[in-house]
Amino acid sequence: MQIVVKNISKDYGKKKNAVHAIKDISLEVEHGEFLGIMGPSGAGKTTLLNMLSTNERPDHGQIIIDDIDITQLHDREQTKFRRNKMGFIYQSFELLDSLNVKENVILPLALSRSHKKLIEERFNYMMNLLNIEKLSQRNVDELSLGQRQIVAAARALINSPEILFADEPTGSLDSKSATILLNYMQLVNQREKTTIVMATHDAFTASYCQRVVFIKDGLIFSEVVNPGNRDKFFEQIINMQRTIGGGNYFNVSQDY
Amino acid sequence: MYRKIIKRSLYNMRDSYLIYILACAFAIGIYGTLVSMSTNPSIKRAIPTWRSYLGDISIMMSWVFAFCAVIYMVYVGGFFVKQQHHEFITFEKLGMQRWVVVMLSFFQTSVIQFFAWIIGLLGTVVFQKFLGMVLFYLMHLRFNFLMYISLADARHLLTVFLYSTIFFSGINAFKTMRILQKGGKRRAKKARWWLRIPAGLFGIVLLILAQVGSVQLIYDIDSIGYSPKPMAEILFILIADVFGTYLVYFGFLPTILNFLQKIRSVAYSGINIFSFKYLKERLFQNISTLWFVTELSAMALVLLTFCYYGYQQVYHNYNTIYPFELSADQNTVKTVRQELKKSKANIVGEYQTDVKISLASYYKESDKTVVHQPMTFMSHSDYLALPKRIQKWNPKVKSNEYLMIRYNSGSINDEPQKAYNIEVKNAPLIAKAKIGNSFPYGSTMHYGSIMIVPDKYYQSLPAEINDTLYGWKFKKGDRLNAKQIKHLEKRRGDYFLKVNYNSNLKNSSIEIIKKEPETYDHNVYTQIGFMRQGGFKKQFNQVGGFFLFIVSLFSVALLIALGSVLTLRILLRDDYQSRQLRTLQKIGVEETEIKGIVRKENTLTFLIPLIFALVQTISASLSFSLKLPKKLLLIYGGYVAMYCLFGVVSYQISWHGIKKKFSQ
Repeated sequence: MQIVVKNISKDYGKKKNAVHAIKDISLEVEHGEFLGIMGPSGAGKTTLLNMLSTNERPDHGQIIIDDIDITQLHDREQTKFRRNKMGFIYQSFELLDSLNVKENVILPLALSRSHKKLIEERFNYMMNLLNIEKLSQRNVDELSLGQRQIVAAARALINSPEILFADEPTGSLDSKSATILLNYMQLVNQREKTTIVMATHDAFTASYCQRVVFIKDGLIFSEVVNPGNRDKFFEQIINMQRTIGGGNYFNVSQDY
Repeated sequence: MYRKIIKRSLYNMRDSYLIYILACAFAIGIYGTLVSMSTNPSIKRAIPTWRSYLGDISIMMSWVFAFCAVIYMVYVGGFFVKQQHHEFITFEKLGMQRWVVVMLSFFQTSVIQFFAWIIGLLGTVVFQKFLGMVLFYLMHLRFNFLMYISLADARHLLTVFLYSTIFFSGINAFKTMRILQKGGKRRAKKARWWLRIPAGLFGIVLLILAQVGSVQLIYDIDSIGYSPKPMAEILFILIADVFGTYLVYFGFLPTILNFLQKIRSVAYSGINIFSFKYLKERLFQNISTLWFVTELSAMALVLLTFCYYGYQQVYHNYNTIYPFELSADQNTVKTVRQELKKSKANIVGEYQTDVKISLASYYKESDKTVVHQPMTFMSHSDYLALPKRIQKWNPKVKSNEYLMIRYNSGSINDEPQKAYNIEVKNAPLIAKAKIGNSFPYGSTMHYGSIMIVPDKYYQSLPAEINDTLYGWKFKKGDRLNAKQIKHLEKRRGDYFLKVNYNSNLKNSSIEIIKKEPETYDHNVYTQIGFMRQGGFKKQFNQVGGFFLFIVSLFSVALLIALGSVLTLRILLRDDYQSRQLRTLQKIGVEETEIKGIVRKENTLTFLIPLIFALVQTISASLSFSLKLPKKLLLIYGGYVAMYCLFGVVSYQISWHGIKKKFSQ
């Protein structure tokens, strides 16, 4: 197992205003797995993802990645761990407006002071893989939403992270851009054996995963494993959504 | 709802508003203190000169202070409107009428002004007592300072409160209107190298011209006396400096940063890939602030330099005139001693020195004329027997050297260090003499120059007149009463020297006239019989203390203004700029590295204006004097230390703000 989560919980606020975002969750993710985390808004998907990606600390429990309990690491060690092992794709892209596309993409490598030659090689490879060579000298504000998310994906993948975290990566995209991005993520997962943990409330997006864990009110409700057929898997996800609490919580894509 | 919007905006920017309110409250407090001090009865009682001119100076300084405070408050108040421009535009987009948005801005500023004034007026009460005590301490006064604010002053302060609140709120409302008219697009500042580089070069030319102007100004002040030319030159230097600095910033700051960015090994290494562009963007935005702070810093340093040289000059003149509390010559010494006996003065030191008066002739470079004058001669050993504080102001002189003590020409430029070829009647030519300005028994006791000569030269010198000079030091003054002083005053013009010039010194002579001549010829000189320091020392201490008080007040206020401007400019980042730092953290940049970016930004924002201001001030000071005195360098060092302290505080506040945003 690459990621082992043991009984983690997280509260926000104090006393009367306390919100139990994650109550008691245990989870395991295998190396090279493409895991989806689903649930209605406020279920705790992003909180769980933030804790897995060391952006937040759980109040209780353990998160073990590659046999290291990351909850016990010092902030600085956590940051190093995050930088070396993880990549991130956010719904809001989190690109740096001050930098152009190329600078945004190579940022993780530049931060780890990689050799210039390696930076250029990896950059060209990623741009080629994601088919965005033409965008390299553009500024961020000149890109469409879809292009921004692809650039964010390129940045997340350039240093070949062992684990890729994606928080609602298709949330801001139209269906075409979403499909392109998901195909790329699947490609990376298969080719590079990158472990992907993706939070989404979209059944179509989740259907690209190998396994989907459903969360409700801070607890794991159930999970569905991809039987190898995306149509069937999609239907299973929809059924689970209905079981959890009616389809109105979820966004079932009409374009599927 | 409007009340809620205003409340929310104030809450969101509470840290920045707090700094602004405290800085404004300080300015209001000081203004109120200066205004109320001018009418304070305890000051009037304690300081007789307060009614005649110090009170007027205090009122004048309060106006100067108010003027500077208004510029500060208008300039910095605009930061907050700028910070909210997205919000204002969103309000309009959501259908809020433009005048309503403008009024929101108006009332928001009014609330801030209200708080600033309330704290400032409370500050007036505290500051008055505290600063009054400080003033009395600095002026060496043993009086109890009573706090007092007259009704008229209170009414005046309330009127200023009302009008200034309307004025500042109106200005911010106008700025909001301009933002709404322009629309909300964030315009990226373009490089426009074709404009920036020539502008920067022109800026350098202006700065060089200002420097040349400073040199010319010093020459003109020395040589042409009363003329409108120096004023025109000062105006030119001021304009050239102010605009030159701006153009240099505008032209070269982005160029240097762009150049560094092009060096890939520098800019693409580690966090530099982001920090270079980020800092460039921030500095681009803050060029006008950097310029404003540079000019204020330069002003503060120039003020300190001016005060230093001014004080040195006054102190030097004071010591030159009054090396002893009482001086006399051989004709008046008896009378003076009798009066001192009557007054029961406590004498702690008595000095007497024999001097010879003869005729001398030399070429004076500063006037470009040959001077024929009576000259007083003193032997080297007698000179060394005098108190060291008198010798301190003159260059050191060895037993075989000559020292010519003469009046300071009043020049701010360096006086010549040596005089050459001084002819003395019936004595060998003095080929070379050092020049000093501190007269042993006070400048009024010697007509013309005094020459310290080797003992042998003194002994062989044939004198036209022999005299002895006396000086006394007392514990708690000479205690002479008005009647005694009146009696002594009669002996002031002790005797007169009439010089009969001929073609050469040998044939010229000095004639002593005991009675005051009916007509004063150009060759008749008065020998003063006695010199008394009297109450002048007290007055000197008082006035010195008062000016030290004013300068300290202005320096502290300037520092607070500078510090708060820069801190606010650093704190008030655009939302997207703060977001970028948060993004860095999310993608795995260490907190220490982000802290490093904030530190770099802080350091650059504080250091660039300081270095520029120091270069400007020091180069201007060097035009006055080729060597900067150690004490002046210490004063500059003190300023730099205080300024850096503000930088450190600003960095801490800035980092605290970012950490808070990270945790949101």
